[in-house]
Amino acid sequence: MKRLAVLAAVTALAGCGGGDDEQLVVFAASSLKGVADRIDPAAEVVFAGSNDLAAQIRDGAEAGVFLSASKQPLEALRADGSVELPIVFASNRLVIIVPAKNAAEVNHIVDLTRKGVKLVLGAEGVPIGDYARESLELAGLGAALDNVVSLEEDVKGVVGKVALGEADAGIVYSTDVTAAANDVLSFPISEYFQPTISYYAAIVPPASDAAESYLETLLGAEGKDALRRAGFLPATPS
Amino acid sequence: MNRLFQLALASALVVAVAFLALPVLAIFLRVPPGDLVTQLADERARAALLISLKTSLIAHVFILLVGTPAAYLLANRAFRGRSAVVSLLELPLVLPPAVAGLGLLAAFGRSGLLGGQLNLLGLQIPFTQLAVVLAICFVASPFYVRSALSAFEAVDPALLGAARTLGAGPFRVFSRVALPLALPGLGAGSTLAFARGLGEFGATIMFAGSLPGRTQTAPLAIYDALDEDFDVALALGALLVVVSAALLLAVKLIPSWTRSSSPSTTLSAPFVSR
Repeated sequence: MKRLAVLAAVTALAGCGGGDDEQLVVFAASSLKGVADRIDPAAEVVFAGSNDLAAQIRDGAEAGVFLSASKQPLEALRADGSVELPIVFASNRLVIIVPAKNAAEVNHIVDLTRKGVKLVLGAEGVPIGDYARESLELAGLGAALDNVVSLEEDVKGVVGKVALGEADAGIVYSTDVTAAANDVLSFPISEYFQPTISYYAAIVPPASDAAESYLETLLGAEGKDALRRAGFLPATPS
Repeated sequence: MNRLFQLALASALVVAVAFLALPVLAIFLRVPPGDLVTQLADERARAALLISLKTSLIAHVFILLVGTPAAYLLANRAFRGRSAVVSLLELPLVLPPAVAGLGLLAAFGRSGLLGGQLNLLGLQIPFTQLAVVLAICFVASPFYVRSALSAFEAVDPALLGAARTLGAGPFRVFSRVALPLALPGLGAGSTLAFARGLGEFGATIMFAGSLPGRTQTAPLAIYDALDEDFDVALALGALLVVVSAALLLAVKLIPSWTRSSSPSTTLSAPFVSR
């Protein structure tokens, strides 16, 4: 379904940008909404899950730049030469979100293992789900997985169920919280239990001037500022 | 001119058949039949199928037990606001499933309308199999109630009257006269409702969530498998196509089976109503 949506978006772009060879198309992970679309007003930005975007690029979609929320989708592309060398340009952190009322009194990551706490995570294979599991493992709190009541296909599903008050807690990116600020509270997960969440930018060959300058802006002061305002952290070496 | 019209009709039919059959066919063309079976042995696929079967059957019992008498009453009583009641019962037919899910949450969710009362009873419905059952009941029951209603309405009231004058009580009239006569319609509606319930997706994912082994039904498992294991998704999809087709076929065949197996209905009709 997601794949079809991407396909539809790409086809639509191809249709309207038909005569214009200079039109830059940027494929960006959904979590980069509000950032990737502010770098170059002339660029068309397609948002979707990183895995789906990578699949499209492998199938020959004409993207100029690919911004991925994790390393894994890039690896296969890199191996067959579908992208140039990726650069880390930002990082993100995990937070625990609880409903505004926080009736279950979840105030610390340890509380996620308490019996009866209803926890919602991303599904396996979905980056946010894999990161959340990694974080719980780092914290030695694998037992929290017994409290999982639903595995969602995207971050929206996790935030939604917590915001509605049906689930007691969820684990999402810190940048996801702003949208639901009134309905959820969030608190950070300790430094020690944070997986490395790096965002990668890569040019899809053949490189165009527009793609090069997009990357320059993204990595420059302007891009850093947009990223910071959206809640992203500076790139960490990985 | 006449030829042209015939040609237009024929091409419309061809377009319709091709468009509707192609996606279904494509599923089978993408998975070799042998793989289909091995993919279904996948533990998560099996668990999802079992949950689908279990929740659909439980929901179906509720639908039949409540829907049958409700439809019978509606068919035999004229009262003010009857058509409003019927429309209300049919509303889930045309409601987007996501809206159904929202409504179920707003009514039975923890912070929903009845959430407080349910909580006092120690009941928290979201994320449980009960939530799956409720979602199925909500979206599937109109299919049954609708055909049950028209099946009961099609029963000649004179037959019911005759049974009463012969001394049958209301329950006996219902169970021995109305029910057997309406049976083909009830069977068809029941099958359609079951098929709709089996395919339920939108309301379930919102109200019951998706947890393998607990609330993940076959349609949810298809969605879950999409980005990881496309073959499992296809295999589950193919199986649902087969099951749905079998159920649809049953709907077509049920009336003819029951007609031949209960000749008394055709015999008694002219006798009583004249």
